[in-house]
Amino acid sequence: MSELKDCPLQFHDFKSVDHLKVCPRYTAVLARSEDDGIGIEELDTLQLELETLLSSASRRLRVLEAETQILTDWQDKKGDRRFLKLGRDHELGAPPKHGKPKKQKLEGKAGHGPGPGPGRPKSKNLQPKIQEYEFTDDPIDVPRIPKNDAPNRFWASVEPYCADITSEEVRTLEELLKPPEDEAEHYKIPPLGKHYSQRWAQEDLLEEQKDGARAAAVADKKKGLMGPLTELDTKDVDALLKKSEAQHEQPEDGCPFGALTQRLLQALVEENIISPMEDSPIPDMSGKESGADGASTSPRNQNKPFSVPHTKSLESRIKEELIAQGLLESEDRPAEDSEDEVLAELRKRQAELKALSAHNRTKKHDLLRL
Amino acid sequence: MERKMQKRVLCTPYAMALVSADSRIAELLTELHQLIKQTQEERSRSEHNLVNIQKTHERMQTENKISPYYRTKLRGLYTTAKADAEAECNILRKALDKIAEIKSLLEERRIAAKIAGLYNDSEPPRKTMRRGVLMTLLQQSAMTLPLWIGKPGDKPPPLCGAIPASGDYVAKPGDKVAARVKAVDGDEQWILAEVVSYSHATNKYEVDDIDEEGKERHTLSRRRIIPLPQWKANPETDPEALFQKEQLVLALYPQTTCFYRALIHTPPQRPQDDYSVLFEDTSYADGYSPPLNVAQRYVVACKEPKKK
Repeated sequence: MSELKDCPLQFHDFKSVDHLKVCPRYTAVLARSEDDGIGIEELDTLQLELETLLSSASRRLRVLEAETQILTDWQDKKGDRRFLKLGRDHELGAPPKHGKPKKQKLEGKAGHGPGPGPGRPKSKNLQPKIQEYEFTDDPIDVPRIPKNDAPNRFWASVEPYCADITSEEVRTLEELLKPPEDEAEHYKIPPLGKHYSQRWAQEDLLEEQKDGARAAAVADKKKGLMGPLTELDTKDVDALLKKSEAQHEQPEDGCPFGALTQRLLQALVEENIISPMEDSPIPDMSGKESGADGASTSPRNQNKPFSVPHTKSLESRIKEELIAQGLLESEDRPAEDSEDEVLAELRKRQAELKALSAHNRTKKHDLLRL
Repeated sequence: MERKMQKRVLCTPYAMALVSADSRIAELLTELHQLIKQTQEERSRSEHNLVNIQKTHERMQTENKISPYYRTKLRGLYTTAKADAEAECNILRKALDKIAEIKSLLEERRIAAKIAGLYNDSEPPRKTMRRGVLMTLLQQSAMTLPLWIGKPGDKPPPLCGAIPASGDYVAKPGDKVAARVKAVDGDEQWILAEVVSYSHATNKYEVDDIDEEGKERHTLSRRRIIPLPQWKANPETDPEALFQKEQLVLALYPQTTCFYRALIHTPPQRPQDDYSVLFEDTSYADGYSPPLNVAQRYVVACKEPKKK
């Protein structure tokens, strides 16, 4: 049996808080029956008292835990002073939250060590150090485990490649296959809209119309008069636009006749004298041409709108004759496509896309089969 | 006090909500009463064991030797005492939680009533509150700040004592904060304020000065708001959650509602104690006031690099 002075226990005074003295409100509440109950104004004092009770109970709990630990260690490794010291060190090391007063008490109680805790480890000899490692194994183990992380990380990174194919993945693949079906609608090329210059001209005119209306309204509010522009609606705007366009076209072209007619004329003209009728193989055209010619020689300011439809029919008839004569190959005019570079480009890209998506689809099918 | 309020507002539809809150509070109070009774039962039960331990200690000390018999017996007694203490702690915690629940219900009710504006003048709204009453309220709020008593192994949470709030913490309506506001003359001051709302869109708080509702509501960015602690730190179990001597803090000057820079003189020794601080004060020779007491609730970390 060991002597009392060997005992590392502390023999705490485990008296519980005397609630009669320290917690009067608590006591009063206890004395009351259920019917009286607690008043709201008593809550604050009750809270303080309960907190006191709780803190003393927690303190008691901690001390008890520490003491039982010491007792267990002591009993397990009875008779070895070094182990006792270790036991205490374990206590000091492991639970830092137990608060300073207790730590100091434990150290003070140690009949063994020369002085306070930090001094003690230094005074130990080798053998206890090894044993100390056993005790302090846990904290050292913890840093070791993270160091071995590398293989885990490797396997984690490789996992996506080696994992089994789950049904979820098959489902996503099937879903991916579905979209190719509704691509058809993407391929539709919308019809050529109004040329942008026309659209912008129209919008500008509308803008001016609105501004005019606003200005007029502001100026003639009382009279209720509107400017001339506001009487126009969209149809009129269109007509106005066409008129201006027609006016523009003529000076630009410089000649009302179609391209083919011009070329023919050029080919037939030997000198500066314009005499198309002589070599023209189309007798019935001559009348028209002279008429048209008359139109060309006379001042252009007259009958402009009149000659336009004429030249168009002239153009087409000349073309037909030339084709019949074998002078001009029948051009398969592929609608407006050749003139429309944008459309051509769009078609090219669409073809590429179709090929690519077909390729993708076959690949996805293959994957699915796997 | 509660009954008076009930009588006055019984006729309104708001009264129905009040009444239901009241009945809930009454329920909770009954439950609390039961819990307290249970606590005492538990304590008296464990009392017996503690007395045994005491006797064994005495016997061991008088006999001056520790036999294995005593050791085993002591171990057994300690284990029982541990279980008892744990049970007691649990019930006490339940009781404290219940008190907290009741208080939060009361607080909700106060905020709702403030918004609805149904309080009469005789109730303590900020409008007609005199200085003395305000100070008493502040003191009470400081005293009843719940004490953080962690289980063995628990760490004190953010907003306990000196532990700062987490980076993305947003104060809730009704929380008390220290707010840095610009006065009319351009001076910046930290005042005690209560959060009204927070807008996630603009990241700004709306706060009310705790003194007088008549003062305008301030809208401030998060950087100008420091939430006050929601728990007291227990010096006996978590001293690391307290500000240490010579630390620079913002503390509420006694009998005012403004925070000023101060140095900690002594941290509290017991859970109910206050900090003793030295306020920066140029009217004193050494630049600091004599030590003044400020409750844990009204001491927060100081972030300002230099005095404004």
